[in-house]
Amino acid sequence: MARGFAGTTLRIDLSKGVIKRLPTDEALFRRWHGGRGVVAKICYDQVPRDADPLGPDNVFIINTSPMSGCLIPGGSKVEFGSVSPLTNGQGDSNMGGHLGPALKFAGYDMLIFNGISPQPVYLTIDNDTVELRDAAPYWGMKSLDCEKQMKHDLGEDFEIATIGPAGENGILFSCITHDFGRQAGRTGQGAVMGSKRLKAIAIRGNRSIQVHDMPGLKKQVTGIIKRTQKHPNMEPWQKYGTAFFIRWSNDNGVMPTRNFQTTYYEDTDKIDGDQLVEKCLITHKACFGCWMNCGKYTKAVIPGKPEVHLEGPEYETGALCGSNLGMKDINHVAYINWLLDNLGMDSMSGGGVIAFGMESFERGLITEKDLEGHALRWGSLDDVEHFLDMVAHRRGIGDWFAQGTKRAAEKIGHGSEKFAMQVKGQEMSGYDGRWAPGMLLSYMTSDIGAHHNRSWTITVDMAEGRESVEGRAKIVVYLQHIRPLMDTWCICRLFWGELDITPEEIVESLNLITGWGVSPEECLRTSEMVWNLNRCHYLERNRANGRTFDYPPARSWEDKIPSGPGKGKGVSREQVEQMLDEYYAARGWDRDGNPTREVLEDLGLKECADNLERIGLLGKAIPGGIPAVRGEKYKPKAF
Amino acid sequence: MVVFFRAGSELRHRLKPDVDDYTRRVETTPGKSVREILKDLGLDPALIAFLYVEGKVRTLDYVPAEGQSITLQPPVSGG
Repeated sequence: MARGFAGTTLRIDLSKGVIKRLPTDEALFRRWHGGRGVVAKICYDQVPRDADPLGPDNVFIINTSPMSGCLIPGGSKVEFGSVSPLTNGQGDSNMGGHLGPALKFAGYDMLIFNGISPQPVYLTIDNDTVELRDAAPYWGMKSLDCEKQMKHDLGEDFEIATIGPAGENGILFSCITHDFGRQAGRTGQGAVMGSKRLKAIAIRGNRSIQVHDMPGLKKQVTGIIKRTQKHPNMEPWQKYGTAFFIRWSNDNGVMPTRNFQTTYYEDTDKIDGDQLVEKCLITHKACFGCWMNCGKYTKAVIPGKPEVHLEGPEYETGALCGSNLGMKDINHVAYINWLLDNLGMDSMSGGGVIAFGMESFERGLITEKDLEGHALRWGSLDDVEHFLDMVAHRRGIGDWFAQGTKRAAEKIGHGSEKFAMQVKGQEMSGYDGRWAPGMLLSYMTSDIGAHHNRSWTITVDMAEGRESVEGRAKIVVYLQHIRPLMDTWCICRLFWGELDITPEEIVESLNLITGWGVSPEECLRTSEMVWNLNRCHYLERNRANGRTFDYPPARSWEDKIPSGPGKGKGVSREQVEQMLDEYYAARGWDRDGNPTREVLEDLGLKECADNLERIGLLGKAIPGGIPAVRGEKYKPKAF
Repeated sequence: MVVFFRAGSELRHRLKPDVDDYTRRVETTPGKSVREILKDLGLDPALIAFLYVEGKVRTLDYVPAEGQSITLQPPVSGG
């Protein structure tokens, strides 16, 4: 086996309570590289297409990469994956902290769960000792409370990941929490974990990981540390994290405000990063192997409520639970962040769901009678607290919202799907795409539903011209290959995106660790493979032309931005169609958004082509053939 | 007068550093704000989230003094 691996994969059948130790399949990792790539392939191969995402036949995977725990800058990430109950397609999400390295140090590369436990359990890994234990004492506990209690019971040196009541109750946007504030939030991985009655995972390990070229790795990483310490962006990052970009987002007309009704929030100065630092910051926090410490550990102090401690809010939560809910106090935003974290809900989808509820209430589509006598008004913390309790416990119409905005809109009706701000069932991230068309296309075509981390284009939109959609598809395809590579390698994106660590340097690290000798080009191709595999998986599960699923809610093209710097701006339906046409062409898919045999076989995915053909969704051959290079390096005009 | 602008990531390529990998020496007129100086350089101020000057966050309206080093912080590429 190549270096960089712990060498063992655990397969845990929760229905039978059986734990099997298997040698880690190096060939699988060599082809799919780790993290989200391996997770995607296992889900494609092992989950029946008609399996209920919350049923016993879905798998739930926790995965690392050869780089996890190996000195690499930002090498803290751990990947969670399963078929998503939110999107009904491949789902993955990752978190920083210490869990992934702990798993490697305990001697394991990957955990694969299937089945459903007859009673709530948690898994403990203490080097060679692996046990499923009765979780009755913890079932029903909130996420942060549960982590604290488990550390008390098991030992402070255990790294713990938990779900909260939301995951236990099948709320489709439930998250997994670790290290008192790191979340795998997106795609409902917490709901899958809860469906298996798996409350938590606790890991302690003290083994080392062998690497291929230790002197070479030390030399490379030492150089990176020295260089990044002098980087001009390092100190601002360390002091302020991501919350300081709220003002910029607002000044540039992309700030989601009151459920994406507009893109300018008049009270931004009350929820911006300087408010967070001034009123809430307790200390800075870092993940394993990181000297950036962008995490901000904070408190929320509100008269009449308990003082609560949390990590965040960072940019996304600050936007989606701040301006998007009309909040006027950073303490209130932090408190909502804490509520969502402790209940075990994704604070991005959570913000989107609350905002959708608020607009539905404003329009009279839901009433105080539906809300157990409470209102749901913009800017009201008490209303939010009561609403989230209804959602987390699925009381009354809380059950509708527990299924995300798409399904809630189907229940509410009256045209509410127009302002259910999601794509493929997953709520949008904290940027409005109406004056940033590349960002809108990124949401539309993301393999896991609307999520900014697959592709973020706003500065490119600015450089290229924000009213034009021309050429935006190529940059989106390029970003959809390079950005998710970080999730395949299980490393933090910020070192690449913000501190000038190049993909070539990361690939060199991978080779110094494994001895594989891969090239950056091969890695990008692997990422394209994963993208196409996930597209096929989505089509095979949802059985319609891909284009059908790639549209944003109608607000995105019907409503012009009503206020702020973007007033009067917006994309048209024709521009949406143009972007999709250009995107499919850039990918070598047909105009229906279905992958073609030519592109799939070029990527070594013949099986996927055969499967699509069998269900009548294989893309029609493209006259003139597919592009030879897809996702090529793209530079904006301004460079 | 002379000020020094520093930038990393995508913004570095636009700034065109000439002192070291991240720093550009800029000659300007006293009293001009950073926003005005950026425009003189042909750099779009919208691409900068905030300034970082001597350990403090400043807006683009900040007026630099002779010899000051100003870090131009780009927006996070997806929070």
